[in-house]
Amino acid sequence: MIRFDKASFIYDEDLPQEVHAVRDISLAVSRGSHVAVLGRNGSGKSTVARLINALLLVRDGVVEVGGVRPLDDESIYLVRRQCGMVFQNPDNQIIGTTVEEDVAFGPENLGMPYERMVKAVDQALAAAGLSHLRTRAPHELSGGQKQKLAIAGALAMQPHCLILDEATAMLDPESAAEFLRLVEQLRQDRNLTVVNITHNMEEVLLADYVYVIDDGRVALEGTPQGVFDQSDTVIGLGLDVPRHIEIASCIAKHTGLPLAPGEAFSFADAVDAVQWRLEKAAGTVKSAAGRRARLTREPGDTLIEVSHLSYTYDANDPSAQALDDVSFTVRRGELLGIVGHSGSGKSTLIQHLNALLRPPAGKVQVLGLDASVNKNIRQIRRQLGLLFQYPEHQLFEETVAKDIAFGLQGQKLTPEEIDLRVLEAAERVGLSSELLSRSPFELSGGQKRRAAIAGILVMRPDILVLDEPAAGLDPQGKAEILNDAVRLRDQGVTILIVSHNMDDIARVADRILVLNNGRLHGLGTPAEVFTDEVRLQQAGLEVPRTMRFLQAFEGVYPELHTDCFEADRAAAALLGAAGEAQHGA
Amino acid sequence: MARKISLGRYVQGSSFIHKLDPRFKLVISLFMMVVSLLSRDSWQIALVTVVTAVFIRLAEVPLKDILKSIRPILFLLIFAFILNIFSGEGEPLVSFLGLDITLLGLMSGIKTLFRLSLLVMNTTLFLTLTTTPILIADAMERLLSPLNRLKFPVHEMAMMMSIALRFVPTLLDEAEKIMKAQSSRGADYDAGGPIRKARGLISILIPLFISAFRRADDLATAMEARCYHGGEGRTRFRVMKIRPDDIVFSIMVALIGALVFIGPTFIRVPF
Repeated sequence: MIRFDKASFIYDEDLPQEVHAVRDISLAVSRGSHVAVLGRNGSGKSTVARLINALLLVRDGVVEVGGVRPLDDESIYLVRRQCGMVFQNPDNQIIGTTVEEDVAFGPENLGMPYERMVKAVDQALAAAGLSHLRTRAPHELSGGQKQKLAIAGALAMQPHCLILDEATAMLDPESAAEFLRLVEQLRQDRNLTVVNITHNMEEVLLADYVYVIDDGRVALEGTPQGVFDQSDTVIGLGLDVPRHIEIASCIAKHTGLPLAPGEAFSFADAVDAVQWRLEKAAGTVKSAAGRRARLTREPGDTLIEVSHLSYTYDANDPSAQALDDVSFTVRRGELLGIVGHSGSGKSTLIQHLNALLRPPAGKVQVLGLDASVNKNIRQIRRQLGLLFQYPEHQLFEETVAKDIAFGLQGQKLTPEEIDLRVLEAAERVGLSSELLSRSPFELSGGQKRRAAIAGILVMRPDILVLDEPAAGLDPQGKAEILNDAVRLRDQGVTILIVSHNMDDIARVADRILVLNNGRLHGLGTPAEVFTDEVRLQQAGLEVPRTMRFLQAFEGVYPELHTDCFEADRAAAALLGAAGEAQHGA
Repeated sequence: MARKISLGRYVQGSSFIHKLDPRFKLVISLFMMVVSLLSRDSWQIALVTVVTAVFIRLAEVPLKDILKSIRPILFLLIFAFILNIFSGEGEPLVSFLGLDITLLGLMSGIKTLFRLSLLVMNTTLFLTLTTTPILIADAMERLLSPLNRLKFPVHEMAMMMSIALRFVPTLLDEAEKIMKAQSSRGADYDAGGPIRKARGLISILIPLFISAFRRADDLATAMEARCYHGGEGRTRFRVMKIRPDDIVFSIMVALIGALVFIGPTFIRVPF
């Protein structure tokens, strides 16, 4: 179906920055298969997607789709028609002013006669499960619905192939899973070929074959099993591996019993592999300290006090109730995670903390200041820094330094003091000083995000509130940002992080606040919150993957602490528990 | 949160006027503009007023919304009225700073008031209030399609308008988000002198423009991926069908117009 033979695309000055060069890429995708293309940000994986769809044309080598080589207008449109594409940003691919019009956009371009078009649109909407939304305007849809709409738009052109270019990167886990289920179902029903460009490793498990792109070349290829057998190589390429494989290879290293190819590929296999090694090596491995010591420091004084907070976006509409009687306190020096499914009120809640929204009922106190009193707002915003999702979108100054200093305007500081503060803030997020004189728009995605965080830190806030700080970053960038947050916490900044990702939040948070439909659903340490699985499910959330893996051993090792959220700690806990069991026996 | 942002002031409905073909509505509203302007005698104006009242009834939109449409031109109306009342000939009714207000002047002032108000009310009624912006854009494209032969980019214009309409809510949301983000960084959009305020605006506008460019780039790619290649050979999903209602209504309007145009040759009244 798709064949690349030594295809190269060399960077061209006329092209936007996001296009990265690829060299000598060879790949073959057969009809009806599901192929994953992996790579860190900037590896050139999106260029591969654009080459398949003839949005870019190769300079050297051959690209062939369905037996057609895109060379002239006619063949280019033939290829594009065969390959439906779903892009990353749900908002930026909807053209129509209503759902059905958008689905019709492709058929219109193909010059499809009216009657056939109506049929094609109906069928595509039904296949994507959007028939009931057909007359809605795009901005009334959720992110997940928008991505399904993009699929419907592709389906209406009767493609043979679906290319997902980081299509789930901006969705919450629940919508992402639903989206992928739809893709898989369509693949089976219509014998569609699926090419998924991603850096989400759990999605890779759905694929038949994997290509890992690095620096514009195919660095690794094979079945998912084959690729994940080389987990060290994969991690070296700036990616990660599914958690159960990571834990199993940790155990393998500690016990000196290497994994056989494919031995730990599935969750159940990984459990068996670990079990076997633990029994075999019991007693020979020293037990390490399992759990991470959390909150060893004394809890500090209360910094934020929220009491009986309620908020509604529309007093006449009960479904617009965003927050309902929420009360909690945040203490100095802690890292509080705020989790909940989409629409649970997370964003609304944090906007109350610095008085961007004012509660009609309830009280918010930050550092002893009442957020509903106008004259306190300036003070509160200076001491509680709030960063929204994709904060790099707010950068605007000519240089990074000026942008970071923006928050200091209105404070009576000398230029020297400002320079000092900017340098300090940049250093705290690991931005090197030579970047400060550059335009913020020349920075890479991760650097831009750091610059935006520095723009808050420059005010030397006591509290930092981050809304999905890792959204859209590749595994390495994500880990770095979260480690930054932990480091800041260790330096004494109180941090609140809003996230969809249970694995991330469980790893870094001291306490976790769970919101469900605007109500406070739970508040406690990660161990407390995630052990109550029933309650967690009520809120539509999942147990972190590391914990789920450990839970498989609860029957064998009753002493096992399952509240570990990192692979190496989980491995240590398993080894420890196995050692204890040996002693006991 | 899905906020309802209404573009223009479209009033949802399924009245007779709502259901008319937008192409006809566009032409009729232009026609009624001309008719309103060319009404000179008071009987003509009275006729157009009555007809407009009937249209308003047929459109089933609140009178309040119609009257609101006059507000933007209120200044113009007052200006035209004052200019007219002082420019009439004949016996002065009142003298004012050496300027005379005559009966004829007063009449012509009132007539101007009516003419301009009727003009605006008719366009508002047929277009703004009862036709969605996207349908107006569509109707224009279709009506102007003969200009394609003169290499006028009719399709492109309509596509631009349609995309602009599609992205207005998205960009409004974005603007709000950026404003909140900058406020969190200590920007205060109410405080300070004009220079600080202008700088504050820059901190919103630049990120907004950059975002708009990025979206434009993404959207162009998405359109190309779906085989967009201009208007040539394109079929349309949104069809416009002419119904008997459209024809009958247009004939009626045309007859009334004709009456206004040729009436003065048969009917003579003193005003």
